[in-house]
This record gives sequence, structure tokens and C-alpha cells, in this order.
Amino acid sequence: MSTIPRSVPPAPAVGGALLAGGPQRPYRPAPRRDSVSSWRWRHRAAYGACWAAGLSLCLIAVAILGYMAVEGVQYLSLEMLVTRPEPSLDQAQTGGILDPILGTLILTVMAILIATPLGAVAAIWIVEYGRPRWLARTIESGIEVVAGTPDIVLAIFGLAIFQLPLFAPLSFTADGGGVFGRSFFAASAMLSLIAIPMVFSATREGLLQVPAHVREASWALGKTRICTIRSVLLPVVRRHIATGSTLGMGRIVGDTAIVVVLLGGSLQITPVGDVPVLDVLKGSGSTLTTYVYNASPAGEGNAPQKAYAAAFVLLVLVLLLNAVATSIGKRSSPLEAHS
Amino acid sequence: MFRRLREPWTDRQAAWRLGAVSCLVLLVILLMVVFVAVKAWPTLSNNGGVGWLGPGEDVDKQMSAMLTTSRHPDSSVYHLDAWPLVYGTILTTIVAVGFGLVFSVLAAIFIVEFAPEWLRRLVVPAVRLLAAIPSVVYGLVGILVLVPFVNEHLISAERRKEVEYVVQLTGTGVLVACLVLTVMVTPIMIAIVVDALRSIPTAWTEGATALGANRWEAMWTVSVRAARPAIVAAAVLAGARAVGEAVMISMVSGSRGFSPNLMDGLTYLFEPFRTVAASMIEQVDGLNAPAISSSVYAMALLLLFSSLVLSIGGYVAKLPMRRQGMRV
Amino acid sequence: MHLSRRRLAALLAVLGVAAAALPAAASAKSTITISGATGSEPLVALLAKKFVKLYPGKYTFRIAQGGGEVGIADAAAGRVTIGNAARDPRPSDPAGLNFYGFAKDSFCFDTNPANPIPNLTREQAIAIWTGQVRDWSQVPGAKVTGTINLIGRTSASSLPPLVESLLLGGKKISSLAALKPSDGLVESSVAHDKNAIGFNSSYYAHQKDVHAVAFEGVACTARNVKSGQYPGVRNFYEVTRGPAKGAAKKFIDWILKSKDARKIISTSWVPLVG
Repeated sequence: MSTIPRSVPPAPAVGGALLAGGPQRPYRPAPRRDSVSSWRWRHRAAYGACWAAGLSLCLIAVAILGYMAVEGVQYLSLEMLVTRPEPSLDQAQTGGILDPILGTLILTVMAILIATPLGAVAAIWIVEYGRPRWLARTIESGIEVVAGTPDIVLAIFGLAIFQLPLFAPLSFTADGGGVFGRSFFAASAMLSLIAIPMVFSATREGLLQVPAHVREASWALGKTRICTIRSVLLPVVRRHIATGSTLGMGRIVGDTAIVVVLLGGSLQITPVGDVPVLDVLKGSGSTLTTYVYNASPAGEGNAPQKAYAAAFVLLVLVLLLNAVATSIGKRSSPLEAHS
Repeated sequence: MFRRLREPWTDRQAAWRLGAVSCLVLLVILLMVVFVAVKAWPTLSNNGGVGWLGPGEDVDKQMSAMLTTSRHPDSSVYHLDAWPLVYGTILTTIVAVGFGLVFSVLAAIFIVEFAPEWLRRLVVPAVRLLAAIPSVVYGLVGILVLVPFVNEHLISAERRKEVEYVVQLTGTGVLVACLVLTVMVTPIMIAIVVDALRSIPTAWTEGATALGANRWEAMWTVSVRAARPAIVAAAVLAGARAVGEAVMISMVSGSRGFSPNLMDGLTYLFEPFRTVAASMIEQVDGLNAPAISSSVYAMALLLLFSSLVLSIGGYVAKLPMRRQGMRV
Repeated sequence: MHLSRRRLAALLAVLGVAAAALPAAASAKSTITISGATGSEPLVALLAKKFVKLYPGKYTFRIAQGGGEVGIADAAAGRVTIGNAARDPRPSDPAGLNFYGFAKDSFCFDTNPANPIPNLTREQAIAIWTGQVRDWSQVPGAKVTGTINLIGRTSASSLPPLVESLLLGGKKISSLAALKPSDGLVESSVAHDKNAIGFNSSYYAHQKDVHAVAFEGVACTARNVKSGQYPGVRNFYEVTRGPAKGAAKKFIDWILKSKDARKIISTSWVPLVG
């Protein structure tokens, strides 16, 4: 533990430092007097191929973003953001995207409220306690399995679970006794599963970077392990948990398969019953992703322009979340001040 | 009870409580595998285990027939020959990961070695951007931009006539799906490979340069070779993503349970198909029919199994590297 | 201090559980769930909207689509209160279902406005839909050339068997046809493809972005349905498991008997008398 350099920032789950944008080790400077024209043709071809790959990457990114921005901003208006959508064949009468935006917000908040404690607690237990060892390794592999599972499988599994009579209070029950099984509760439960691995890895990286002497000092002063975690370690890994949560939120906002299967597919938020907040959570609705899916030629609607606008809002939201995660990750930890 | 929770926890209590919460996640995974297997059982038993993966009659017709059965259909209804779907999945995954891997390694070398500083500052955020775009946006761009382009400019009337008695060409198909899927999986691979390339000690590449290698040779023979475990890991991750991609594929692949025929020449690129994951998401409305439900769960089991196979494949691919003393 | 906090927490927990388990029947609103045919869904949605306006605060509707066959299956399994069926009851239907017919509808072939075929005879329709004729140049009256793109429906819909029996003389639709899960999708596919031909209920076939094709010289309108000249006719039914009860009974009685409902149905469809 003490051999980990303290100035290395947290590396989030997948893709490491590049995707999180944290401070990185300096790139190797190119040695001089090695002009490409002196190379063999094979190496020059490879050099050209590398340049082509890099430039086309830029071009693709600019093209997608630019196209989405142009088309999306064209059809986006403030009025669209606050009007409710209406099912209609005529594109002019299909209303706005208020319900999808609300649906996205509700699902993200609920899912991250479930995922953050679960992921953080799992990471803390595995790093700080972790006995018996086989259990710790199994839980780690289990979380990796969840991270690698396609979201459509999680969605189908969620449907199987939430259509059980046991979970009938969490969604709508038809007159004949059939449990609908699709509601905000169901969707957010399954969406939290895709965020847990990100929170878990981020928290674990943060905990592993805390030098051993900090823990040992706390134990030497007579605090128990759990007290050390609560008063010494948690404040340090708070920002790692925040980074993991924000990255998880980015994934949740962009997920379509789980929402298509588990949110009931009604365009507007349709509450079930009369209790103020619970009726919305038991009901069905839509999110930005299902709205885009349905408004595109692959779904019901004839509204490609609204699809562009909604996709643009979605893209802005996702990029914003990732930028926030990056900036949280960049701030220096309180431990580095005295290393 | 809450008062007892607020008292300072002892370490033993804490280990139990935190461990119990951690086991919750494990429980969910076990439940998932068990549930999916139980619900998939009718299809598996009626088709002889893995027989439903083989070729046979039109899979679209079989699944259509399953939609309108009663609550307790007889076992002939469960018959499924899902080979076209499996073929479509294998096709798109291999193409996307194959092309993507080549492209990613080249782009990663570009980012690490050849790019001038100002260009690097553009390319790295571009990679981050592409990795963050949700798959439904990729599908939207595909279906609203690429598909009409292919339909109007790349598919000629003669080509349509060639296959008009076999299948209808509408622009959605192998070409657009593979293209968009490649663009989707590439950023993840680039990120992993770049990380690996930059963690190679500079002493190694400097040694190669000292022995007379140029920049490309030093990079290729030393860094990329040393980063092979990461390249394998990137391929495995990208493969898992490609196999599980449902939404984007269902938007741009044409949604027919049809195996594109290589013998058709270039027309192969324009023929519609469907993958296993896309079939699952399209049958969501019909999940109340028992035969459809067990078929979809059987496909879910297949996807779970394929993630497992991919991980094992990655492990096996890294074994020879371990023997060379590399830390994999 | 501890005691009151503990009591407060227990009280909140009990309230929370009670609130979550509050049955919907305790509220004044009854919910009617409907699923089924995409062809009759526009009409049922209009009827539901008027019904809610007439009896404010008493009823809410949840209308889903899915196709006529799915509607009948859902009603039989008790998953929905009312199923929208768009075909006559068959002996193979589950037992115990009550079919309440309330409207007659026509269904037509439609093409893209760039290809406004004035008429299709039965032989031409059979040749096109069975896949014998694959090129528009062989269809008289066609304004486009190239391969014909057939747009059909999945088997969740009741429409393909009706098209086959009433318009195609019992011949089967070719497996070349693209299978769309709803009327709306068929209509939008035809609207976006110059070479497409599909079949739709009258509501969708008469949208501005598609052209409804006359069959055997008879235009596909409600008037021709009433006079009996147009062969492509089907009935809309509301299906319940057992005789309709409670809110469903009120709704169905209103559809069958009230003048407002007849007026709504008469706009583009033909009300069934009795």
C-alpha cells in the first residue's frame, strides 16, 4: 500500500485515466532528427495509417456532434421543453418533451440513490474487511459480471422479478390479477445495477490509494476500523464516490433497453392510484431515450425533428455529467497536501 | 432498533453488516442467472438443449406463430431455429471488434506517439465524447442519415432486382449496422490501449531508439507488443458491448431473421438481418405469450453465456503472454 | 428524546407501508385498462376522451396497443379490463369472452403519394402481394419504377388474415413482406418509401402522407362500407372476460347506446346498430 505513489489520481473503472480526463503522466516527447521521409515505405505507410486513424476519429466526433447540434437546435425551443407530449399522428401536434425530461430525472435520482450506498458499502467492505477471502473475490467477480452483462438481459430479468405477485405494490395490477411489472420502481431498480460497478470501482480505487500509515495512525490512536472508515477514510474517498456516481449517472441517462422494457411505454407520466408521490413511481412514463427511440422511424412516431431535439438534449445532459465527473476527479485530495 | 444502530459499531458488527449489504449484490446476480434459466427451460427442453440455435425454418415465422397461442400451448409451438439471429450476432461482433481493434491500435499509437500537442488536445476529448454518446443517438444518426444515403445512392435498382424474390433491400442492413457498431466500440478500446501504451516505461522505447529503431518501429515492436494483454482486454470488453447492443441494432439492421448470403457478392452488405439482442428488445410487447417469453429468456441465457465465453476467451488469449513473463 | 425519536420512526414506517399498500379501489377513480388492435385505437382513444369529459374525476383510461390478437389474449388472461378486437370471434378463441361490436371499419391498400395508383383489381392485388409480380413497371397505373416493397403486419395483428380472405381471395401474403407491429408504422414506412405498398385501417390509410388505393373500382370510404360495395370491411369489438362489469360496463354501454358515441363513431367509421 505504501508503494502507491500518492500523486496518482483515481483511475475510474474502465478506460482508465484517459476517459476521466484527470492529470496524466507526460507524453513522451518525439526525439528530433527522425524525419519520416527517411523511413522504409512500410513504416511510412503505417505512419500514414496512424494519422488517418487519428484524423478520422476527430472527423467522426465533430460530424456526429455537429450534425446533432445543427439538427437538434433547429427544432428545439423553450416551449418544447415545458410542454407535455401528446400521442398524435400529426407531427405538429405531438407536443413537447416535458414528460420525458421528468422521467429521465426521476429515474436517474432514484437509481443513483440505490446504487451509491450499495456500491460504496461493497467497496468499503472488500477493501477494509474482506474476510472470508473467497467471499470477497466472489463479490468482486459478481460485480464484474454485472458490469459485463448486456442491459437487455438485466431488463428481461427485471421484468421476470417485478411481475411476481410479491412486487405487485410496486407497479400497476390489472383487474384480472395480472401484475404489470413495469413502473418507475422497476426501471430504477434495474438501472441502479448498471451504475453499481462504476461506483464500486471508483470507491475501491480511492480506498486503495490511501496510504497505510494514515489508517495505522488512526488505529494507533485507539479508533476501531469502522470508526476509522467513518471519520478518516470516508471524507477522503467522498470525491471518488462522487466521480463514480456521476459516471454512473451518465450511463443511466443514456440507457435505453432497460427503460423500454421496464417503464411501461406510455408517452406521458401516467400515475397509478392516488397517493401523491408513490402514484407516479408506481406508474409508467417515458424518458428522453425512449422518446427518441419512439419518435424515430424505428418507433411509433413520425417525428424525426422532435427526435433530433430530444437527442440533442440527451447528448447535452450526458456530456455535462461526464464533464462534472471529470472536474470532480481533477480536484486534489486532502491527503496529497501533506505527502 | 435505531438507537442500537446509532451506537458506535464494533468491528465485528461492522464486518457483518457491511458484508451483508455487499452480499446483496451477489444475491441479485445469482437470482438473475437462476430466474433466466428457469424461465428459459421450456424452450431449452422442447428443442433438445441447444437445438434451438441451429438452422431450420424461417425464424420470423416461428416467432410470429408463437405470439397468438393460448396460455398452455403444446410443445410443438416452442420449436425455434434461431441460427439466423446467432449468425447475425457473430457477424456484427467479429466485424466490429476486428475493424475496431485495428483502428483503435492505430489511433492509440497516433495519440501516444505521433500527434502534435495541439492535435492531441483535440483527439482525446473527441474519444471521450464518442464514448459517452448513448447508443440510441448512434441509432438515430444511423437511421436518419446513413440508411437513406445507402438506400438512395448505394443500392441500385438492378441490385434490388437481383434479390427481389428473396428479400427486400431498404438501406438498413449489414453495412450500416457494422459501421455504426464499429464506431460505438472503438472509443472504449482506444482508451484502454492508450492507457496501456503510456504505462510502458520510457526506458524500453528509448532503448529501442538507441539501437537504431525509428519511432514507428520502437512503438510497434516494443510498446504495442508489451501492451498485448491490454489489447486483448480491450477486445473482450468491446466484444461484450457489441454482443449486447440491442437498441442501435434494432434501429438500423432491418429486423428480419434472415442470414445474409455471402454468395450474393456485394449485395451481402445491404441485406437485412437481426441479432439476438435486437430480437429480445423487439419482442418486448409479446412477452405475455408463453412461448415468446421462454424464447426470449433462452436468448438472455445465451447472452449471459456469451459474456462468460468472452471472458474465458480473453483469459486463454493472455495465457501465452503470461509464459513470456508479462504481468497479465 | 430517544424514545420519542424511536416512536416517530416507527410511526413513519407504519404510515409509509400503509400508503404504499393503499388499494386503488379506496380512491374514487376507477381505472380502465385497454389494449389491442392498432386500427381501432384512434377511435377508442377518442371515445375514452369524451367519456372522461362527460364523467370528470371518475374514470381514468390506460390505452395500450399491441395488435388485435394480443388484445384478445390480454383480456382472456385478465391483464386488461377491455381488449380491442378488430375481427369477428373465432371458435379457437379462449372460452368465456364477451364480444361487444360497436363499429364497422374499412381497410385499404395504400401507396406513397409519388405513386398514386388509382385502382387495383383483385388479380393485380394477388399478384403483387403473393410476390409473383415484383416490379412496379408490371403494374398498370404505377408512376414509379423499381422493385415493389411490400409492407405487412406481424401476426399480433388481426388484419393480415382479413386482407388475405376478403381482398386476396384466400391467397397468402408473401414472406418477402416487411413485418411492422402497428398500423402507424406501416403508414410511416409507406410514406417514406416511394416504392412501398402496404395495408392499413381507414384512419391511417386516409392520412395526408399516403394514398389510399381503390379496390376493384370501389373507393375505400365509410360510405362504400355502409352501402356494402367495398369488400374490405371488419368489425371493431370490445372484449371482456365474462360479461362486462363495473366501470367497463358503464363505458361499453355508453359506446353502444349514447348519441355522443354514435356521433364520434360516424366521423370516419360506421356505427353498428344494436
